[in-house]
Amino acid sequence: MDEVEQTEAEQTEVEENEAENFGYDDVPGVTLTDSNAISDFLKKTKVQDVLNWGRKNSLWFTVNAMGCCGVELLSTGMAHYDTDRFGIIPRNSPRHADVLIISGYVTKKYLPALKRVWDQMPSPKWVIAFGDCAISGGPFYESYSTHQNVDEIFPVDVFVPGCPPRCEALIQGFVELQKKIEAKKDRGTEY
Amino acid sequence: MDANTIIDSLSGQFPDDIYDTDVESGIRILAKVKPENVVEVCRYLKEELSFDHLGCEFGVDYPDRNEIEVVYLISSYDHPVVLTLKAILPRDNPEIESVVPVYWNANWYERETYELLGVKYINHPDLRQLVLPKEMLGEWPLRKDYKGFPNKTAKNLV
Amino acid sequence: MLEEKVGPSEMIVHIGPQHPMLPGPFRLNARLRGETVVDSEVEMGWIHKGIEKILENKTYLQGITIVDRICYLAALSNEEAYVGCVEKLAGIEVPERSQYIRVIVEELSRLQSHLLGMGEYASFVGFVSMFMYTIKEREDVLSLLDSITGARITHSFLRFGGVKDDIPPGFRDDVKRVFPNVRKAIDSYEDMYSTDSIYRARTVGVGVLTADVAKDLGVSGPPLRATGVPFDIRKDEPYLVYEDLDFKVCTETAGDVYARIQVRLDEMRESMYIIEQCLDQMPEGPLFAEDTPYGKRSPVMRIPAGEVYHRVEDPRGEMGFYMVSDGSDKPYRVKIRGPVYPTLQTLPPLLKGVKVADIVAIAGSMDTCTSEVDR
Repeated sequence: MDEVEQTEAEQTEVEENEAENFGYDDVPGVTLTDSNAISDFLKKTKVQDVLNWGRKNSLWFTVNAMGCCGVELLSTGMAHYDTDRFGIIPRNSPRHADVLIISGYVTKKYLPALKRVWDQMPSPKWVIAFGDCAISGGPFYESYSTHQNVDEIFPVDVFVPGCPPRCEALIQGFVELQKKIEAKKDRGTEY
Repeated sequence: MDANTIIDSLSGQFPDDIYDTDVESGIRILAKVKPENVVEVCRYLKEELSFDHLGCEFGVDYPDRNEIEVVYLISSYDHPVVLTLKAILPRDNPEIESVVPVYWNANWYERETYELLGVKYINHPDLRQLVLPKEMLGEWPLRKDYKGFPNKTAKNLV
Repeated sequence: MLEEKVGPSEMIVHIGPQHPMLPGPFRLNARLRGETVVDSEVEMGWIHKGIEKILENKTYLQGITIVDRICYLAALSNEEAYVGCVEKLAGIEVPERSQYIRVIVEELSRLQSHLLGMGEYASFVGFVSMFMYTIKEREDVLSLLDSITGARITHSFLRFGGVKDDIPPGFRDDVKRVFPNVRKAIDSYEDMYSTDSIYRARTVGVGVLTADVAKDLGVSGPPLRATGVPFDIRKDEPYLVYEDLDFKVCTETAGDVYARIQVRLDEMRESMYIIEQCLDQMPEGPLFAEDTPYGKRSPVMRIPAGEVYHRVEDPRGEMGFYMVSDGSDKPYRVKIRGPVYPTLQTLPPLLKGVKVADIVAIAGSMDTCTSEVDR
């Protein structure tokens, strides 16, 4: 039992350290920088509108089916309610995706795993809270084992209510997110 | 296999351990067993009377009588009779022998009863938490005097 | 418990809770020597919500919507077990027309659950186009369910002593329109499965369970019927009107992954045959009995004290509810016996000596619904 705890402590220690600088200081013909000066400058120009147009028309989401709403998530990506016509496809690995859809209740046991999935997604990234359980706990709001207020931990952009919402409601949620990105009012991180 | 013949055969074989038997209908019978000899009763049921399917095993908490009941639901693949076997334990120190040597799939049921109600199983091959996270072990959530239920931290309720 | 010390060419792999090829969030720790699995262990509890404790704080009528969400893929079997318990305790009679309507919606629910299970399994093996085909058929069946109950997955359709609504007027024509397409599709799936050599190489002879081992490990449902044991609660302990209907129990003898899929294909055909018989035999009449104090509109009801165990045939096996009542308007203790709980326990003995690529094929053929295991 002690060995298991020790290996788990080592694992979290490794994750908390910052990524090290591996010494690529001189690459011939290229200028490297690690400050945000260029992207801060671009945010004030019209080039940002072109970048936002590209980003909003190809939002890829992770397949993370946790609760009852997970079945509606799978159905939305499939043949009948096709989301591919909007440029939205389901991806299996969190490293390929832009949007995390929290579809269902988050329990105290699952929360560290969900945070690791969120940390592995490269920015810019957005969150959609799908279903009543992600908004306020849903029909299990009295339970001893679920985490009720998920929007204190993740920066949520769009809430889709319902228990479960229909597939057309999820498509409307994506359209609202696209409008928010175009109007530059979203809470997506670090771009 | 008739319900009455099963009850007669069982009480005839174990006259001290089985008490309070009842035949509710043609397919449901009920018996109570003393907690010390649970494993021999289960072995007799499985080998002689062909009750080879353990449906479920769980606990019920009675704080006003100061007891915890452990309930076994045993049925068969050949005939449709279901036997409800109950063992009554004191609430302060509930301990009982594990039936894993007789029924292989009792393993997870006993682990779950241990972490939700606090019943200790002697001679269990691997008694640790199954459903709850490691930090919540020791809180016995399913008892009637658990403090953390109902949870009132939800904010965005409509 | 897996031992943590590894030999020279061994490693421990945690196939974690968020994995695209596992059905539902549970973790499988596998200890590998090269490509062969030496030992494995299953951990669960990632979506445990404590439904048994929540049900002790709700009235009986409020409990119907919560019980729906135990297994969301076949919601009506859960409701049938819960409502059957209360009706046995209180002695409520259900009229014949309501019993026929209950059989119709439960068999429709079984049909769409098998379509989804088969399609998901095909995508685990690598046959992703089959998933698209079965989802297309499933949408037609879901629209039939939607026209009766009003919702796609969590219905809340049954009440104590009857059902919520009658079947709508154009239902028989819809059935006549949809069922021939589904029958043709099932025939084409069977044709695709039995003649594709890659699929046969991946499934025939893989993950074999014999009848004695399956009975010893406590398995029930299609994995048990694929080994040759004809155990079906609709025939052994009939509830509702299953005694008057004519159907057969589908069994195979091989016990491997191919046989389990074949059993599910046969059960889909039997479900459609049962629904057509019900539509022919259904009598006219009221939905609730005349003199019942528990009707559609009774908010608070007290059930007499007692204990009862009621079991039904879920698409995945034997589902049962044990209810203890103490005479008030809320239940004292409800225990939910899910059908997949013992089936998931049998994975460590089955996966000994198997290559890594077959883990997913065997785990997927058991058709687990993780929400039912964790409750």
